[in-house]
Amino acid sequence: MDKQKNYIQLIYRLMVGLLSIGFLYVIWPYISSVLLMLVFAFLFTTVLLSSVDSLERKIRNRGISVLAVTIGLIAAISIFIGSFATNLADQAGDFSQRLETESFMDDFNSFIDKTKAKLPDFTKGGNEDVDAASKLNEVVGDLMSTLLSFAGALGSFVFNMIMVIIFTIILLLNYHQFKKSLVSFIPNKYFEVGLRLIYNIEQQVSNYLRGQLLAATSVAIMSIIGLYILNFFGANLTLVIFIGIIAGLANLIPLVGPFIGMLIAFAVALMNNLGNEAAQAHMLFNAIPSPFYILDVALMFIIVQQVDNNFITPLLVGESVGLHPIMVMIALLIGGTLIGPMGMLFAVPAAGIIKVIGHEISFVTKNAHLL
Amino acid sequence: MKSPLWSNLFKNWNSQESEKVIALKQVPVFDGLSNKELVEIEKLTHERTYQSGEHIFKNKAPSEGMFIIISGSVEIYLDNAGSKNVLAKLTNPDFFGEIALLDTEPRSAGAITTSPSTLLGFFRPDLLSLMERNPALSSKILTNLGAVLAERLRKTNELLPKSDN
Repeated sequence: MDKQKNYIQLIYRLMVGLLSIGFLYVIWPYISSVLLMLVFAFLFTTVLLSSVDSLERKIRNRGISVLAVTIGLIAAISIFIGSFATNLADQAGDFSQRLETESFMDDFNSFIDKTKAKLPDFTKGGNEDVDAASKLNEVVGDLMSTLLSFAGALGSFVFNMIMVIIFTIILLLNYHQFKKSLVSFIPNKYFEVGLRLIYNIEQQVSNYLRGQLLAATSVAIMSIIGLYILNFFGANLTLVIFIGIIAGLANLIPLVGPFIGMLIAFAVALMNNLGNEAAQAHMLFNAIPSPFYILDVALMFIIVQQVDNNFITPLLVGESVGLHPIMVMIALLIGGTLIGPMGMLFAVPAAGIIKVIGHEISFVTKNAHLL
Repeated sequence: MKSPLWSNLFKNWNSQESEKVIALKQVPVFDGLSNKELVEIEKLTHERTYQSGEHIFKNKAPSEGMFIIISGSVEIYLDNAGSKNVLAKLTNPDFFGEIALLDTEPRSAGAITTSPSTLLGFFRPDLLSLMERNPALSSKILTNLGAVLAERLRKTNELLPKSDN
């Protein structure tokens, strides 16, 4: 009789489980964006929590502390996005003006011809007649349409950002109460272990994120200094501070991120130096041909990456997550496949959380007789 | 009829002390704390209810913090080769497990309820977070905790010569 009861219970649980999974699958498209917003809000909260806590320690008022930290953050983001958009628009306007003038197209064509002349014979194929300038025009046309679709996406981004900020403020204000209500669901038997698990996860995520942000800041500062040094040697790079900041932010994505800042710097170097004979004939260390200072930019970013990887990140991030490089790559691939670039950003901290949970589960299993 | 606006504005003026704050006031670990500070501590504590005969923790179990008895009764015991050696019988406003606020060593004894009980838990992660946000308050608690442990050590020292005899 008992066995039959167990079977019925098992079937019932299985059906409830399957129904829950099915329900989640159906509603997932409607809730996924909200969940992503909550994840972002949680990450912002984790990063800002220590600032709010230490401000609260000084002014003895949590509400004002949350307000001050949030306003500071919004001001910083607005100043960055605002001045970046203005500078980018100026840059794009200047470039399209130059593109329209006949002499610029001639410059570009003559540069392509000169480059081809310098190349060894075997690299010259049959497509000698390809008009490089029209190709460039095509590329710029594509870029413009991409920019337009980007403007459309910007609207929804701003809305999502406002929601994330509201969620972050609420979480920051009531973080400790939220945590308390969450842990109240843990059964008595696992209460202390559960508290330990939550505390360890908090520590892991907050150490990782703070370390990453400090490393990103140092990459941004080093890149800005490097780009100014290149400008000192005549690289004629503009948007230096923005390239630096983007390089720093992109650095948050392991392995892939470092190349993003480099690519933007390449594009700016190319755009600014077309038609400049000296820049086209530039040689790195007076030995290696580096038209438009491309190799100089690449070398500068490689140096910044090496300094970051070997000195700064180990010092700031250290063993906070402590994942094997292969695990980092696998996590990145899974994150990237599931949610794209955002997934890559969250992959490593998520893998870190899974590692902590796994560690705690093995601890609980070993000490199960004591609970 | 009372206006909801006024009653909301002055809701904290004539508020009664909660049962938890009253319990905290009776614990030496929170001696000398103002009402405002006790309310802050109350926000960090976790109220847990236990059935009679339920383990709060077993001997050698991982430890995270102390418990204050609000209602009910608790036995602190040691297992001696199968037989239960009861070290203390505790009721409101007693507290136990405070050593766990200072170190991560496993529990040195077990605790079990002998009647349906309500306990207030104050745990190390919350104390650590309080140290970040309000060092002055947390240092008062740590000083009190030191005094409680010193008192216990003194009593143990007094008992040692007697046990030798």
